Amino acid sequence: MAYFQARRDFLKLATKSATATVLIPGSLGALGEVALRGEDKFVRSICEMCSSRCPMEARVINGKTVLLQGNAFAKEMGTSLCAKGVAGSSQLYDSQRLVSPLIRVGKRGENRWREASFEEALNLVSTKLSALKERYGARSVLFSAKTGEHYDLLRSFASAFGSPNVFSHWSSCPIAIESAFTHTFGEKLHRDFENATYILNFGHNLFEGLDIPLTKAMAHFCANPSKKLVVLDPRFSIIAAKADEWHSIKPGSDLAFVLALLHVWIRDGKFDRTFVKQYTIGFDALVEAVKETTPQWQQTRTGIDASVVERIAAELYAASPRCIIDWGHKATTTQAEFQRSRAILIANILMGNVEKEGGIYLTKSAKRVNALAKESIVPELNDPYPRVQIHEPRIDGAGEDGAYRFVSKQHGVLTTIPEAILSQKPYEIKGWFLTRHNPLITVADPQKMKEAMEQLEFIVVNDIYLSDTAMMADVILPECTYLERDEGISTLTCKVPTYAMRNKIVAPLHENKSAIEIIRALAERMGCGSHFAWKNSSELRAFQAKGNAELLQTLLLRGVASFDVPPLCALEPSSVERFCERYPQSRSWVDAQGCFGHLLTHLKTPSGKIEIYCDAVEKVFKGYGVPRSVDMDVTQGLPYVLTSGKSAVHTNGHTQNVPYLSRLLSSNPIWMHPSTAKAHGLKMGDTFYLQNAIAKEKATVFITEGIRPDTLFAYMGFGHDAPSLVRTHGKGTNVSKFLSLASAPICGAMITNVGVNILKA
Amino acid sequence: MEKQYRLIYDENLCIGCQACNVACRVENSVPDEVYRVQVHLHTQGEFPNLGMSFERLSCVMCENPPCVSVCPTNASFQSKDGLVHIDERACITCKYCILACPYHARFVNPIKNVVEKCNFCYETRVSKELLPACVSICPTDALSFGDMRQKQSLVHQKSHKEVLVFPKAHLGTKPKVAFIPNRKGMKS
Repeated sequence: MAYFQARRDFLKLATKSATATVLIPGSLGALGEVALRGEDKFVRSICEMCSSRCPMEARVINGKTVLLQGNAFAKEMGTSLCAKGVAGSSQLYDSQRLVSPLIRVGKRGENRWREASFEEALNLVSTKLSALKERYGARSVLFSAKTGEHYDLLRSFASAFGSPNVFSHWSSCPIAIESAFTHTFGEKLHRDFENATYILNFGHNLFEGLDIPLTKAMAHFCANPSKKLVVLDPRFSIIAAKADEWHSIKPGSDLAFVLALLHVWIRDGKFDRTFVKQYTIGFDALVEAVKETTPQWQQTRTGIDASVVERIAAELYAASPRCIIDWGHKATTTQAEFQRSRAILIANILMGNVEKEGGIYLTKSAKRVNALAKESIVPELNDPYPRVQIHEPRIDGAGEDGAYRFVSKQHGVLTTIPEAILSQKPYEIKGWFLTRHNPLITVADPQKMKEAMEQLEFIVVNDIYLSDTAMMADVILPECTYLERDEGISTLTCKVPTYAMRNKIVAPLHENKSAIEIIRALAERMGCGSHFAWKNSSELRAFQAKGNAELLQTLLLRGVASFDVPPLCALEPSSVERFCERYPQSRSWVDAQGCFGHLLTHLKTPSGKIEIYCDAVEKVFKGYGVPRSVDMDVTQGLPYVLTSGKSAVHTNGHTQNVPYLSRLLSSNPIWMHPSTAKAHGLKMGDTFYLQNAIAKEKATVFITEGIRPDTLFAYMGFGHDAPSLVRTHGKGTNVSKFLSLASAPICGAMITNVGVNILKA
Repeated sequence: MEKQYRLIYDENLCIGCQACNVACRVENSVPDEVYRVQVHLHTQGEFPNLGMSFERLSCVMCENPPCVSVCPTNASFQSKDGLVHIDERACITCKYCILACPYHARFVNPIKNVVEKCNFCYETRVSKELLPACVSICPTDALSFGDMRQKQSLVHQKSHKEVLVFPKAHLGTKPKVAFIPNRKGMKS
């Protein structure tokens, strides 16, 4: 691919302008030399360089160097960690990260600040938020966070404050697949890559969007000559390169391919009839919906030969149930995202791979395992983040009524925010509290979002950098990095119940506080301290663990806790038998087929079964009750489709300024096929304009054979406008600027494939 | 007993993620703009008939190391275990070794102004029975390291199971680093 080498030339040009020493107010660099106080021993914790949250361990040497590696107590990790994870120390010591609170002195967004003590900053935040509540009502303040412990904490605080308007990052990432799971299974399932023999992958690029346990399993899968991986992706990604077959599918047309697969299986009667009959409802509606979606029909939409669909359908069926049709992670390809995600899940269902080895499986949570065993084998946790029921409508109607009635009200639709603020409909929005969330980089149409933010009376941002979004704040509360803070217990459960805990590795380098400390201090000041049953992280942990000292001790020493529960596939009699031998009382659940079939007939769906057809959805959104061919256009009539994705060394917006990672990849030149480049007279490294109805932005070109001629690609998270991110400021293109605020029907997902023109600079 | 170290790089498992590159930088305080280990990715062929190769660039620890024989001050030397090291105190930065190395594995450390390269993390890790940082960190188990004299070692087992390629073997340098070449995709 030569991407890393090619970008070295960009780097050379780029670094020259960025080497001047700039002292950012409130930054670590402004403090001069700081010595670390740590012990020369291993501490096990959880990584936070991305949202995968891999268990890791750290060692502080000579009070300075922090060596990070995977936590081998988590078996599927070993000592492995990715480049971002290892670069955690580079972030810790980054002279450009914030360590003192900042209060705005210039105009909003002007980037003029004064340093303040935490005392002053927290007082100001509590006074302002209370004033907004008094004047406009609690609902006038938005709260947003990336999902994880930050989000659980903020959501709880927001409910105590009284606002229904809580947003996670979901609607800009996995909400479509989450929503598809809710409407099909009533809960999310996982993929057993280790034991599968055939995987069909729709661009789920685990080799650039890393999650160590999954990435490792997938790497071993690819390297095993007896297994087969087929990848459909417009780009020759790393996982495409590792596949047995790569098909450069037209962007946005995955749904057509899956509908054709379903058509072939149903046409030939090659699917698991017994499974479908026993555990699902609505199969007949599917038969009707895919009558016309032949392999020939999909050929014009996907660009993939009809014979390929026929062959892959036959191969998958032959491999079933040990096959997986992989739904990916970030489900934001088209307006049809809900249908695409549902079609993929239904393809798995027809292959009868649910709760089979090498297929897909329900989370084996502590609660589920204890209920099966009819004894308490795994400790269950208290929820330390209580939520008060709010009797106010949300601005987006999520979970309530209207277009987003099927979107979880816990997550909301981020793309509705700008319009709600600007139009003051359904009511006035005056404040926004963001923690570790950077919508001006990661959410569609940041131009409009910025315009809306300018209308607000008060914005508070918790971040470790003076990010693009933080620049719009009235108060910035700098959190300590994950290496400097303790947190509660988190659940890592997939095949077996597993807990993990983030443990402090070094004391905070300066005054920084953790989000737990920040939110708790604010709650106290605002008179809702009693909302939380704990005062600090130690009390939080003890409350969560229900005083289980042994569990806490394990999590402190090992970072992870698992409970020697045998992995269970509920529809594999041998696996069920192993479980029953260990926990004899579970035998009463075993059905005539030697399985725990009741798990799949008592799901949290309206029917309790797996729903191929969703009546509730069909009633409100006609035609959406079963997967159909709809909404697949991503060009908007323009000649090229701009796509985006992750690189192995960066997240979608947070890591671009981390010194070690910035050196590895400092910009995101746009991938372009040689014939396309030639047609526009572009040579490697030339600048040009990308343009659509929303934006016209300068970009540089990276010419490669590894992409369709009608498609362009950019790594996400570049194009930062914040001058305090000195290393990455002004480098690359922020692809969010081209994205529309119109989200996908039903699920509210942002769409990240978008039509563009190429114009000469 | 003397060791017979071997490091095996499996191109089939490598995803080019650069975790080894960063782990090495942290472990060995490697300065900016230079590196002891890096993985290069090359796309070959024409759309849509493409392949990708992964190439690990670092010292291969020759048994017959050209860098040692050209060193005028014996700063480059070979230990009893056959590992090639650099004695920083004796290095006069004449760069003969940089020119002599067929693997382009050596560079001048711009801070210390001495020649540097991968040393298998010998002092900080291997001498303490730990794996080199790159091997330990690799997200996909693409690297294995150990003593070929130990029949139970992973490297011994892999060496007997897989077809190993020794980089630039025709030069007679006898590297201790071996590759398992890609089974999939286009051949370079």
